[in-house]
Amino acid sequence: MKKPSTHDQEEREFGEEVDSLWRIVFSPLVWVFHFLACYIVTAIICAKMPAGDTLAGLRWFILGITLTSLVGIAAIGWRSWKQWGFVDDGVKVQDLPTEEHRHEFLAHASFLLSIVSFIGVCYVAVPAIFLDSCR
Amino acid sequence: MTTKPSSTHKLLTAALVLPLSGCDGLQSVLQPAGKEAAEIATLFHVLLVGAVVLWILVNGIFFYVTRLNPRPLSRRAAETLIIGGGILFPTIVLGILLAWSMSLMSSQRELGNAPVSVSVTGEQWWWRVQYRREDGSLLASANELRLPAGERTEVTLTSNKVIHSFWVPALAGKMDMFPGRVTRLALQPETTGTYRGQCAEFCGTSHALMAFQVVVMEPNDFERWLDDQAAPAKEPEEALALEGRQVFLREGCGACNTVRGTPAAGTTGPDLTHVGGRTTLGAGILPTTPDAFTRWIQHTESIKPDVYMPSYEHLEQSVLEALGHYLKGLS
Ligand SMILES: [Cu+2]
Repeated sequence: MKKPSTHDQEEREFGEEVDSLWRIVFSPLVWVFHFLACYIVTAIICAKMPAGDTLAGLRWFILGITLTSLVGIAAIGWRSWKQWGFVDDGVKVQDLPTEEHRHEFLAHASFLLSIVSFIGVCYVAVPAIFLDSCR
Repeated sequence: MTTKPSSTHKLLTAALVLPLSGCDGLQSVLQPAGKEAAEIATLFHVLLVGAVVLWILVNGIFFYVTRLNPRPLSRRAAETLIIGGGILFPTIVLGILLAWSMSLMSSQRELGNAPVSVSVTGEQWWWRVQYRREDGSLLASANELRLPAGERTEVTLTSNKVIHSFWVPALAGKMDMFPGRVTRLALQPETTGTYRGQCAEFCGTSHALMAFQVVVMEPNDFERWLDDQAAPAKEPEEALALEGRQVFLREGCGACNTVRGTPAAGTTGPDLTHVGGRTTLGAGILPTTPDAFTRWIQHTESIKPDVYMPSYEHLEQSVLEALGHYLKGLS
């Protein structure tokens, strides 16, 4: 029986990562959509119905979209954290040309970007708390 | 005997004049005379002190670890420093500052409630001003804003042709003026006095020469001033001023400028009915003395490059003087 090579073994174990380069942009993308949704919807509401009590609705909308975004980013962050596997092997620097290091490096980057995106989404939402008119 | 000032001396004077001229309070965000400006100044001072403290702290730590006590940090200490000082601390501090500055937003944008409201239109390069009184009557003026102290006056802003920005640093933040759009702000000056405003958005050749003065008066004085402004122009009494009025009408000044009470009713240029009583001429650039009027009319295009008003260089000096005299008399 032919023994599988180390390379094949690695590829099987970390094979899901063939397309995971994409995953590192997921969190920033959520941040981008949250930002655009907040600003565009606010602009439209203030342009179309500047008077009246439309701002309460706007606030609920921003609260909803913010919580959704935060949950999404937290999920992506959690998944990257698991994939990074820091707790298992304690590796912080992935600088070897191996499948394993590639696998963990992408997760590491994705995890850090999730933190930045989480903070970013919170900051984008802060003005909604203080908004009391379209002026 | 007089000693010639050395060039270093001159340079030093020049270097001091610029920063110090910003300290007289006429046009300084650091000497607020209005509610909005006071809030902005507080925000600025807190940020400034915070920035200085942080700068000293960060550079102090740098100095300590590189010069005073250079030694390798343990991995744990390094990570605590990076996560604590690089992520947690700035996130919390910036979050607090963000929330604080946002909380100022609503009071900065509060509507005015004074009986008089003002609309200002940006022109190239001057300010068209119109007061609307409680009874609905309108009053045209230019290049000067008078406001009642202690009251919150609503100011609507728009522009003709290009974007300008309305800024009276001692009273409030700035607000852009767009052609075809109306923006607003409210001014709530707390102390009487004279302040200076300046166009804060590049708007063409003479952008830097587009200023105005804001005179903050006691509410009673302000009402009286409005009554005076509503009256037509004063009849000239002296012969020289009478001649000036004739020249004014003969030379076609009335095609562009209004002097209420005379046939001059043009609206392309500023309303001159009470121009002699204003604090400045040519949108904040000359005093309102008869001489300044004469110079302005004679050399308009060199005093304010690319202005629409032509220079009247062809007029004789005596005629120009009569004009200057007449205009100064329109108080
Ligand atoms: Cu301008």
